[in-house]
Parts: sequence; structure tokens; C-alpha cells
Amino acid sequence: MSLALAPAVVVQRSTPMRDAIELVVHHPPSAAAVKPGQFFQLAVAAPQTILRRPYSAAWADPQGGRIGFIFNVVGAGSGWLAVRHEGHELDLLGPLGRGFSLEGERPVICMAGGLGVAVFPGVVQALVARKRRVTMLLGARTSSQLLPADRFTGADVLTATDDGSAGYHGSVVNLFTSTLRGRVGVEAVDILTCGPTPMLQALIENVRQLGLPLESIQVALETPMGCGVGTCLGCAIPRAGGGYLLSCIDGPCVRADRIDWGRMTDAFHG
Amino acid sequence: MADQVDLSVSLGRGLRLRSPVMVASGTFGYGFDAHGADRTALGAIVTKGTTPGAREGNAPTRIAETPSAMLNAIGLQNPGVDHVVRVYAPKWATWDVPVIVNVAGDAVDDYVAVARRLDGVAGIAGLELNISCPNVANGLQFGVDPRMAAQLTAGVRAVTRLPLLVKLTPNVTDIVAVGRAVEDAGADGVSAINTYLGMAIDVRRRRPVLSRGSGGLSGPAIKPLALHAVWELAAALRIPVVGVGGITTAADALEFLLAGAAAVQLGTVNYVRPQAVREIHDGIAAYIAAHDLRHLGALPIRQARVEAHV
Repeated sequence: MSLALAPAVVVQRSTPMRDAIELVVHHPPSAAAVKPGQFFQLAVAAPQTILRRPYSAAWADPQGGRIGFIFNVVGAGSGWLAVRHEGHELDLLGPLGRGFSLEGERPVICMAGGLGVAVFPGVVQALVARKRRVTMLLGARTSSQLLPADRFTGADVLTATDDGSAGYHGSVVNLFTSTLRGRVGVEAVDILTCGPTPMLQALIENVRQLGLPLESIQVALETPMGCGVGTCLGCAIPRAGGGYLLSCIDGPCVRADRIDWGRMTDAFHG
Repeated sequence: MADQVDLSVSLGRGLRLRSPVMVASGTFGYGFDAHGADRTALGAIVTKGTTPGAREGNAPTRIAETPSAMLNAIGLQNPGVDHVVRVYAPKWATWDVPVIVNVAGDAVDDYVAVARRLDGVAGIAGLELNISCPNVANGLQFGVDPRMAAQLTAGVRAVTRLPLLVKLTPNVTDIVAVGRAVEDAGADGVSAINTYLGMAIDVRRRRPVLSRGSGGLSGPAIKPLALHAVWELAAALRIPVVGVGGITTAADALEFLLAGAAAVQLGTVNYVRPQAVREIHDGIAAYIAAHDLRHLGALPIRQARVEAHV
């Protein structure tokens, strides 16, 4: 694993959707090394914080040496990151963890709830480059919190909002269920997903009812994390069959059948 | 010149470290996955707490950040002593940095069994008894009662020739009494301190953040508390005191050495800045050179007791 301890420089800051920030950093070794679904530990200098914050790369541009991170403000660390601007330096540790497995030829459904969308621009780009057919399902509370569809070039983009202000009126899991029934054969898709734990649990329940194998699902997990490299053992995830996986080194992208969904908790921090 | 300063230190029974900078148990795994840390600056590695059999650890949530600190309740997740002896020790035997195994358990027999298994194994330079884990049932009981701490130390002392540190808990009324008890029972040194019991509550969900409710507090917030414990212990004990608790910079480490610590352990900082090992090592060397002190033994503010082990 190659690790980048050198500072990255923020080259762009924008608001890609309501309540979210996108920071683009210039750091060629990280941009060249990162795979879709991997994450970085970002050092933050907010008062009284000590731990790094784990963020998946939203996308990477190896030629330009750039990486994008999309996040919202949920605490002191993300609040500090949200006020970084062009020219500020960031201390990245990474890329870390296991990304999504993109092997195969079956159609892919990507399913994002809320800020879970942050990992998908690069994932979709890589899948499209592999000539795989991609359907991107985006769920949000309201239309202004949806990442624009032009971030997923080459994919069919379908949206769901809790308030019905755009696309399907209801949860992205229900949109998924109807999409799966309407558009593709039940055994014939791979599913990549990221979102709040209750959404993931609802997805798993639906998939079981549809008779799909959990092996066809990969989940990008969000957990509280300490070191990010397997040392502190803080980011435990209940493993199917007993014991625990570590989100940082066994994940964050994990096949859904490896997780004991009944023992999953919905805690996360920022 | 800073690179000519003698930073070596003896922790007793032949355990000589080339540097006073150690890494604390639970913050460096078994030494294999600490990316970015410079082993050549390290005096010794102290491993994750190791029990007779493998342990799965506690349910999540296991960690939480609090102001200038973090809480953990990992629950001694470890592969068990047999795995350590079979898989890890042969690799450590080829390293040029000594590895000290942190030993944990629920009963005296557990500690004795682990210590006996590790005695004479190539690659293992010493033991650190964890009599102070707040995150498992009965974990603290040995550390808070001087008689039980002494009984446990003597039991382990009887089955091992390895250098023996005892890691003290600060969750006591009189840490010096426990330190004296383990010294009299045959400890070669004490590590002070383990984490403070603490907790955090999720006000939105109205429940403790950690699955166990409470956990151990570490990080910069506890540094002044740890420093005071080391100051008191160094004045009272004849054996070396290894200072640990919230050390983040070379200046922090120097405070502990000035307080009378023979060496220091870096803990929580390893999660954040793996390069801290090298920076703190070099910072100590530069300080000694700049003040024309030449060796670590000249550092403690109170000289009499500590000179013996440099």
C-alpha cells in the first residue's frame, strides 16, 4: 500500500448540491493510486479534535493529479473541512481500505441514500469505462439535495425524494424494488450501495424477499473510525457467523453476505 | 550534534532501549500495520493486550472522540497467545527493535499462563502486565487493590525471566501505593498510566455512545493527569517509571522525562500522526544537545532516584 503523507492542496471548493461541499485537491500520487470506493484519512485542525476523518474519494483524475471529496457538515471536523478554500493544504493519509470490486459483465445498479452518493461519481465512471450497463439510483429528502445527474455520465439516473419534489415519491429502496422488477432480470444484476444504515437494512430485507443472493450486493460502510489502518480496532462491523470485520481494512466496501445485518448499529460521527 | 546524543535507557533486567520513545499497548497492534511510523526511532514496541485464547472484542460502537481525547472500549480483541508465539514472535526475532508483549486476562491464572507461554520465546523482549483494562469484565480489579496487584505480579514473576513492566491504572485513590506493591512483588518497572474511565452520551438517541456504556479516555486531555501520576511515582519508586498519557509532541515527552520518567510511550497520537515517533525522538535529541546534557539521565528535575537506571 502506498501512503501519501505529503500535503495536498485544495484547488477548488464548490457546493454540488444543497448542504454539501465538494473539495477538489491536487495530489498526484494519491490520484494515481486510489481505486473506486477507497478512502483517505483527512487530518483536521478544528479546536479540541484529535482524530483524522475518513472520507471516500468521490472521484479521481489521475492525469490531472486531482481527487474530489463530497461531504456535509455533521460535526467539528467536517465543519473545519467545509471552510477550506483554494490554496489551503490538507494532510491526507491514504488511499486506504478495499474499494468496490468492479469485475464482471452483468448490469450494475448503484444505489445511494443521502450523502452516500459521495462515493459514486468515480465508481460509475469506472464501471462505464468497463462497458458495464449502469443504473444510478439517487435518494434524498428533497430535489435540491440530489447530486446532479450529469455527474454520472453514461449511466441511467433515476431519483427518489421523500417529499416527491423530484422523481419517485418515496424511498430509494422502494424505487430500487420497482426498478428491479420492471427493468432487469432478478438474478442478473450486481448492486453497489452506500447510505444510512436503516436504508441498507431495508435494502437487505427487500433483496431477501426478492430471493436475490446477498453475494450480489456490495456495501460501502460508514463507521466511526480511529486510525484507519487496522491498528485501533475501533471500526468493528458484525461479521456473519460471529466476530467482527474492521471497516478500515476489511472494507469499507464489503459484500453484504459477510455482514450480520441483525447486529448492525446505526451510529456514526463527524 | 543531536545525532550524537546518547538516548539509550535501561528498563532493568537487561532490557536496554536505544531510544526512550516507545509505543503504547493497543495503539500499534503487533507492530505490523503501523504505516508511516519510523521503527528506527523506536525504543520498543508494546503490543496489543494478549490473552490465553483469542477474543472477539466488544460490539460496536467501540470508540468516540471527546474534547482533545478519545474513548475506547475495544474489549481486548486479540488472536491469543499461541498465535503470537507461532506467527508473530519469529518475525519479531528478526527486528532490531525490542517487542514487549502486553499481557491481559480475567484471573491470575490467565496472566500466569500467558507469561509462562512467552518465557524463553525468541523475539519477545519483555512483558507488560495490563492490570488496568477498563473495558472487560473484572479488568480493573487487579489494578485498584495493592494486595491483588502484588499477588498477580509475584505470580507472573515466578514463571518468567523476562523484564516485567506493570501498567498501572489511574482509576485509584493512591497510585503510589499500587506502584510500591508491584515493585516489592518483583516488577522491573511500571508504566503509568492506562486510560481514565469515562463516557459520552448521544443526546439525540438518549443512550451512551459506546456499546459498553463506559470506556477508557486517552489523548491530550489526560496529559496533565498522567504527568502528575508519573511525578508522584518517580519520587516514590526505585524501579523505572515509563510515562504514558496524551503525549503528542517532543515537548510533551520532555515534560514526562523531566518529571522523572525513564522512557515514554506514545499512544493515541499513533492513530493520527504515525510520524510522531520520529519527530519526538529527534526533538528529545535536539533538546539534550542544545542544553549540553549529553544523556537522558541528566534530564529529571529531581536527580537522586532516576540516575540508577540510565
